[in-house]
Amino acid sequence: MSAIEARAPKPRLIAPRSVAGVLVPLVGLAIGAGIWELVGRHTQAASFAPFSATVKALWSMTRSGELPRALESSLQLFGAGLGFAIVIGFFGGLVLARVRVLRVGLEPYILMLYATPMVALIPFILSLFGFEFRAKVIVVTLFGVWPILINTIEGARSVSADLLEVARSYRSTEPKLWRHVIIPYTLPYTMTGIRQGIARSLVGMLASEYLLAATGLGNLILIYTQRFDTAHVLAAVLVITLLATLLMAIGRAIENYFARWKAGV
Amino acid sequence: MSAVPHEVTLARPFQLGAGAQRALIRIATGVVLLVAWELLVRYFAPPFVARPVTVARALPHVLANHLPPGTPTFWGAAGATVTAAFEGLAIGLLAGVLVGLTMGRLRTADRLLRFYVSAFFAMPIIALVPVMTLWFGYTGTVRLAIVSLGAFLPVCLNVYDGTRSLPAHYVEVARSYHAHWWNVWFGIALPASLPYLLAGFRLAVGRVLVAAVIAEYIVSLKGLGYFILYDGRTFHQPEMMVAVLFLALLGVVVNAAADVATRRLLPWYRRSE
Repeated sequence: MSAIEARAPKPRLIAPRSVAGVLVPLVGLAIGAGIWELVGRHTQAASFAPFSATVKALWSMTRSGELPRALESSLQLFGAGLGFAIVIGFFGGLVLARVRVLRVGLEPYILMLYATPMVALIPFILSLFGFEFRAKVIVVTLFGVWPILINTIEGARSVSADLLEVARSYRSTEPKLWRHVIIPYTLPYTMTGIRQGIARSLVGMLASEYLLAATGLGNLILIYTQRFDTAHVLAAVLVITLLATLLMAIGRAIENYFARWKAGV
Repeated sequence: MSAVPHEVTLARPFQLGAGAQRALIRIATGVVLLVAWELLVRYFAPPFVARPVTVARALPHVLANHLPPGTPTFWGAAGATVTAAFEGLAIGLLAGVLVGLTMGRLRTADRLLRFYVSAFFAMPIIALVPVMTLWFGYTGTVRLAIVSLGAFLPVCLNVYDGTRSLPAHYVEVARSYHAHWWNVWFGIALPASLPYLLAGFRLAVGRVLVAAVIAEYIVSLKGLGYFILYDGRTFHQPEMMVAVLFLALLGVVVNAAADVATRRLLPWYRRSE
């Protein structure tokens, strides 16, 4: 485990109870949109677009089908990459937790790869796998897999000895031990890894769209930047921000759901 | 936002347990991996693809700057990237601590800014690199801006979480001794959230390196990213791999330094489990 970790978080209300708790954030958003609008109107169109123009661009891209297509393409890439990352991270983690030689042997290399900025490997992947969908999925997986793998190993190794003893004393077979004790115990840890993997996979998605075959949201950003059409660029950035916020919220919700399960064990 | 520092939980790297045996297993695994890489690439990949033998052969040339004329020099590139990364870390750290403390201590600031900080934290900030080229031109400012932003967000969120989880009686005791607000902010809240700050810092290091490399790819700045891209495109993969290894080493070393700093500076901080 890392030397630094949070103490048990204090439960905080998700829904703000007071009027100010609802109003002030809304005021904050309105101020932000207002500043965006003002700055956009007082700068050249080639460097910044006002909020209203961005919304207009968003609408026209949605109606023309350009944005939905890009979103679909990006989500396919993200989903495939993250899917492989989850499968490899989870099952690989279980195996590594179980087989000591592999774990001890591979641990330093896994930590090294986790610390490596994976973008640096994109040219290498390009030469091995080309620049089509397959290569991009590999990039996304390489970004997302490490936290899932590391957290799964951590979880599977910290199954409490009491639980194992009880299961054994009831003559639980090895497969049953896995199904009823080890995997349920490990899942909350894996979920923490998946939440972190989501954020990293999004970076991988965008990086591979920039640097390998340009598709999806990354392609939208690149082509509209080349046309100095900031309204469309900002619209695409806004969509990515909303998508990322949504995905992170989903990840956090799943993690919290499993954390409750963990607390119940 | 939850109160958990946004960081992965890791096994403590390079823990020395039953020493020699572990080291042996690790070295053996390393050798197996290198041999597998060598054989797979030698027999199944195009001849220009890097493999351990060619990387090892290229290593002294790259480190001694004996490169074909016209190509970027390694140490120049490494210096540019590392300088930008540390400048960005310094800016992000300072701004992150100030904004995080403010949001943690002042409820209105929290409510006004929380949405922005968590949205920017969630999004891949490299989405902003192309539009930043329109703002700052194809200059190093783009790299510095994106790197600072990448460092700022995790530090800010973690300091915020740390300040929010400050035990209330610390502040009560301080108040009863007539402490000023700045005493509470910088004398109590900041030291109490140091573990969170360090967790944020570790996360920031990873993000900063990724952001710097991406900015160098897209903006074609002198730096390791451009070095990698250039050598990759001109079929100098072994040279490219040296730069990749250098980046990996950088990430590992800075993370290890943060670990040591935590143990040295925060001996009072123990994990709760």
